[in-house]
Amino acid sequence: MVASGGNGTAEVLLEARQISKRFGGLAALQGIDLKIFRGEILGVIGPNGAGKTTFVNCISGLDKPTSGEILFKGVDITKMPSYAIGRLGLARTFQVVKPLKQLTVRDNVAVGAMFGAKGATRTTAQARAYAEEILERIGLQHRKGHKAAELTLPDLKRLELAKALAMNPELLFLDEVMAGLNQTEIERAMELIRGVNRSGITLFVIEHVMKAIMGISDRVVVLHFGKKIAEGNPQEVIEKPEVVEAYLGERFAKRVRGERKSP
Amino acid sequence: MPERKLSRRQVIAAASILVLLVALLFVPKFRSEYELLNYTRFLILALMAQGWNLIGGYTGYAAFGNVAFFGIGAYTTGLLMISKWAVPFFPAMFCGAILAALVAVVIGLPVLRLKGHYFAIATLGVAEATREIADTWDSVTQGSTGIDLPVRSEGEFFYYSALALVVLGVIATALLVRSKLGYAWVAIREDQDAARMLGINTTPLKVLAFALSAVFAALAGGLTAYQNIHVTPGDFFKLEYTLQMIIATIIGGSGTIFGPVLGAGVYQLLSTYVWTKFIELHPTVLGLIIIFFIIFAPRGLMSLVSEGLKVVRGQKRFRWQGLLANVRAHRVT
Repeated sequence: MVASGGNGTAEVLLEARQISKRFGGLAALQGIDLKIFRGEILGVIGPNGAGKTTFVNCISGLDKPTSGEILFKGVDITKMPSYAIGRLGLARTFQVVKPLKQLTVRDNVAVGAMFGAKGATRTTAQARAYAEEILERIGLQHRKGHKAAELTLPDLKRLELAKALAMNPELLFLDEVMAGLNQTEIERAMELIRGVNRSGITLFVIEHVMKAIMGISDRVVVLHFGKKIAEGNPQEVIEKPEVVEAYLGERFAKRVRGERKSP
Repeated sequence: MPERKLSRRQVIAAASILVLLVALLFVPKFRSEYELLNYTRFLILALMAQGWNLIGGYTGYAAFGNVAFFGIGAYTTGLLMISKWAVPFFPAMFCGAILAALVAVVIGLPVLRLKGHYFAIATLGVAEATREIADTWDSVTQGSTGIDLPVRSEGEFFYYSALALVVLGVIATALLVRSKLGYAWVAIREDQDAARMLGINTTPLKVLAFALSAVFAALAGGLTAYQNIHVTPGDFFKLEYTLQMIIATIIGGSGTIFGPVLGAGVYQLLSTYVWTKFIELHPTVLGLIIIFFIIFAPRGLMSLVSEGLKVVRGQKRFRWQGLLANVRAHRVT
């Protein structure tokens, strides 16, 4: 199930080549090369402003990279509009949640089921039925009749995930779905994410909660000032001096090392 | 159990609609020719408002130029009827609707890429431009003198035609909003980036909403032209018509199936009443009433109706806070 990075036999699902993005004078991304392998969970960390969300925006077509190219399942999606990328099997959640507020929770999810990768094959009734299935899986079915405007933040984060899952993606970008959740909620979210991955969906997970990232990722990538400064096995990556300096701080690195040795 | 409950609700809803429809069918029997004119005005306003509801209510684009399509419908209908082919009324009116839809597509493709206020201003400009064209294209429109249509004076003909179009409008709206298209429109209204990311190709669907709203306005324009006999740029490209359709939709409940019709009814009632009671201050009093509605029922009458029905059914207890929540929902703080 787990595809280890760098393994030459694993299938490359998405490849970003030399992605750069400039906003006026600011270089938000500087020549990022990245491969995502089918079946893996790739964790992405980096301080605020490192370019994580900008990278996802560029991949998902919401924004266009200034230079570089993106291949998804071998197809060049660099200049594709986001709805076409979505239908190709790439979905994402938004860090700042984007619910369709006046629609019910079920209809929010049904929209994803109607227009996603398998949307053309479903009627509206089938899409609504599929939406209920997804809500059941996510544990949000008790809210299905509520308007999205009435949900709490943890439920809104779950709704983001449900909408994206309803699109039947092969590759799913999760942009800080755990921010603002408490300890138990994080545990549940981790379990949920592992379950999603087991169902065959490749995941790209941006998260600040280190414990979660370390717990679920097969590989970790570290971004800093728009550059990729490290990539590889989670344990090794967070011990690299440049990662410690850029992001974690010496104390955290020590703690992680200590935790690993103690048991 | 919940399924049975739902079907009973549907039966009650269908029955009340039927009663209302039958009542409307008998209006000409009990009303004077003059009063019938007000009923026809209400139906024509309802038709325009239904159109505006598709682009403004469901898709969330504040179109301020729909009177352009009203005028295009009026002129096309009139010009075809008095042309050497002497096209009969209904085919002429449908040609007007098709032309208006085509114009909406051509305008919509660039203009619907604009956001919020910019879109509103652009459509306002389009309405002004079409008026200027009607005013200066003398060889076709006879400029500001206008054109004269064949006379038809039975009020019942216009009343029943308008009623039929409104009923068709309700059915069309109900079918559209339950389709994938309707879901896509609402998704676009709620969050355009989210809609795109969910796989919705937004631009053509927005253009379609705009074109359909143009069809409604053009049908209303054609009917009004035939009823008024005389069509001039000043009378038919009036900003007032755009405002009326927006006000009717908002009073009734934008983004609801029956809201525009209900709003048009209330608007016409108020307008007629105020007109007879306050001859001089008519616009001022009407304006105050509209402000009252916007402040105290910003979600429209349909939302009050559905809340009321919940109370009647015992699903909810009546609470004043509920009403206040409606008011607060559209406040800044």
